Amino acid sequence: MDLLMTEEEVRFRDAVRTFLGIHLDDDLKRAERLNPSFLADPDIGLKWQAKLNEQGWVAPSWPKQYGGTGWTLAERYIFDQECERAGEPHFRGASIKMIAPVLMRYGTDEQKAFYLPRILNGEDLWAQGYSEPGSGSDLASLKTKAVLEGDYYVINGSKIWSTLAHHATRMFALVRTADTGKKQEGITFILIDLKSPGVTIRPIRSICGTHEFNQVFFDDVKVSVSDRIGEEGEGWDIAKYLLEFERGGAFAGGVLRAMLTRLHRLASEPLPDGRKMIDDPLFAARLAEIATDIDANDMLELAAMSKVQAGGNPGSVPSSTMKIERSRIRQSIAELAASILGPDALRWEERRPLHELPEESEIAEERKVASAIYFNSRSQSIFGGSNEIQLEIIAKTLLR
Amino acid sequence: MDLNYSDEQLLLKESADRFLKERYDFDKRAKIVASDDGFDAGIWAEMANLGWLALPFSEENGGLGGGAVEISLIMEAIGRALVVEPYLASVILAGSLIEKLGTESQKAEILGGLIAGTSRPALAHAEKQTGFDLGNISATAVRTGDGYTLSGGKPLVLGGAAADIFLVSAKLDGNIRLFVVPADAVGLARKPAKLVDGSRACDLSLYNVPMPASALLDGDNTLVEVEAAYDRSNAALASEAVGIMDALLDATVSYTKERVQFGKPLAAFQALQHRMAEIAVKCQEARGSALLATLSVDALRSMRIRGVSGARAKIGKVSRVVAQEAIQLHGAMGFSEEMPIGAWFRRLYAIENTFGTTADHLKRYGEIIHDPAVLSGSLLREPA
Repeated sequence: MDLLMTEEEVRFRDAVRTFLGIHLDDDLKRAERLNPSFLADPDIGLKWQAKLNEQGWVAPSWPKQYGGTGWTLAERYIFDQECERAGEPHFRGASIKMIAPVLMRYGTDEQKAFYLPRILNGEDLWAQGYSEPGSGSDLASLKTKAVLEGDYYVINGSKIWSTLAHHATRMFALVRTADTGKKQEGITFILIDLKSPGVTIRPIRSICGTHEFNQVFFDDVKVSVSDRIGEEGEGWDIAKYLLEFERGGAFAGGVLRAMLTRLHRLASEPLPDGRKMIDDPLFAARLAEIATDIDANDMLELAAMSKVQAGGNPGSVPSSTMKIERSRIRQSIAELAASILGPDALRWEERRPLHELPEESEIAEERKVASAIYFNSRSQSIFGGSNEIQLEIIAKTLLR
Repeated sequence: MDLNYSDEQLLLKESADRFLKERYDFDKRAKIVASDDGFDAGIWAEMANLGWLALPFSEENGGLGGGAVEISLIMEAIGRALVVEPYLASVILAGSLIEKLGTESQKAEILGGLIAGTSRPALAHAEKQTGFDLGNISATAVRTGDGYTLSGGKPLVLGGAAADIFLVSAKLDGNIRLFVVPADAVGLARKPAKLVDGSRACDLSLYNVPMPASALLDGDNTLVEVEAAYDRSNAALASEAVGIMDALLDATVSYTKERVQFGKPLAAFQALQHRMAEIAVKCQEARGSALLATLSVDALRSMRIRGVSGARAKIGKVSRVVAQEAIQLHGAMGFSEEMPIGAWFRRLYAIENTFGTTADHLKRYGEIIHDPAVLSGSLLREPA
């Protein structure tokens, strides 16, 4: 048992560092620093994706046969840490991390051949169609209806909280194809072209001032049967498979450490009165506590990775623990960063994206975005299975 | 990078848990705690037979060559069973210092006795004013014609009640050095002290204790090695705390499943289910921290401090919550000395105040991560 990289892994890390040093330019880094949201502004994300695509590094988690890197888990972990340390725009969302693994597992050869390359080259951007106005944590109660008419499903209903749907070309959605039996059994997984007639997208600005979420309405929208994933009624199993990717399939250690390092830098700058927050023992204690939280979570990620590499399963309690703790850590960092602002916390810049504003010093810009990052961080404990749902999962395992 | 236990390590864990479950249940422990010595010679002899006392020492010194991971597994089991015998004090703290700094004859004699179960050394280093500054001691060693005389006071020597040998630190020509002092040395007075967790220590005072030249341990890097030995012990304490936290979670889950109020088991109330899930979250986090401490004891000093003090800070905080919640969820039963809950609670409280407090460790960790290279650095390490 050890934490040692192999010689090859060290060389891999150095190669990633070199690549990032050359290709991740200051404009991209600045845009990401000024982005309060979980995912990058799509224009920025696509620019970075295109650069990575030339190197073949868009999808670290995909197998080689589909255009992924085929990296080991350790290499993916190292890549993630290096990208986060360098400050890359976060573009790997629903397309690469959610629909792609579902297509690989449940898609037909035709579906895979058509959709996967379009994800890698940025031609398609996918939105998630799970939640509905009346169905959040109780996802299986969803009502959006799909009625089979010949070779088409006719969709009526509405999906909500669809991230970046206003930029997306397509949506993967859970729809109801049957009302009989258990509510989980009547759910089907389909792919919807968002340019289809009958699709209306309403923006929802979030409390951080950014338009990232949307409500999407379907009014007699036609979807070809060939765009169904799996069998009719199999949607719930597919959804659960996908949620596993949303919950446990990613590393957060890199981004958390990068956020805390940013906060440390911000706190090391003199305030207008000459003080530095980092010299305040209460502030330093909070910062140190959060750093210990990150170390602990990082160890859980590495332990889970070791289990998977040895052919095992990390288990539901560690997975849900990581989901809960990542959200809390991110929220604590954002909250602590905002606490530095003083009266400047009252100022509010409405313009989005923020990187289109004239450039200021890095510290001035960190201060400008800090409130919005804090507001946005509240979503961390809600999406992808709220922390209450995670506690339910843990309690079920404990009390079984 | 591999964080999976080997088959041998899993066997060791299983055998440690089984031994303590069979031979060290809570009633047996209560009798030991209530006894005059607060120590069971039979259990100690069995630990020797199982090889526990030889575990961390190198094979050339008669040990088993076990590493920090093996020690962590023993410590988790010790935590769950609430063992009061001085395994940590004698084997990990004092024993490892003798191995690092002892002369060949000191190693042969003292480690030989320790491994055989016939000798229990204890480290007498910290003094009233030492706090978390390990270099702040004032005991003195003065050269005489054929040796030294030692004077000073060493309060709260862990494992000191059952010790036959003390490793006493004192300043010789201004430098901190360690001396082997038998418990029956002339001028040495030992006052046993009962501790909050049921274990025994002693307050030691030395007044012109004459020691031969052969009592001095090798090496002038004593303080560096003492700090490293405390870090090894702190990593062990982190694992002990993890063992206790898991035991508290298990006990709380099974109690709330059995205890029926308002016509259903307490475990059926969602308000309580989520509190137990939060305990499980903290147990998981503590396990991650303790593992980092375990894998850091032989790392570079900054990484060692990051791992060890980070774990003591983090585990101090979360273990306190877990213990408080476990008492609360047991209701009045958790308040009684008849249940192990309170004993686990008190041992965690003792751990938070042993070899540095939770706040001390947070401060030490905070100073280390003030260096951005450490703060932003990966947990993965480059091969040597």
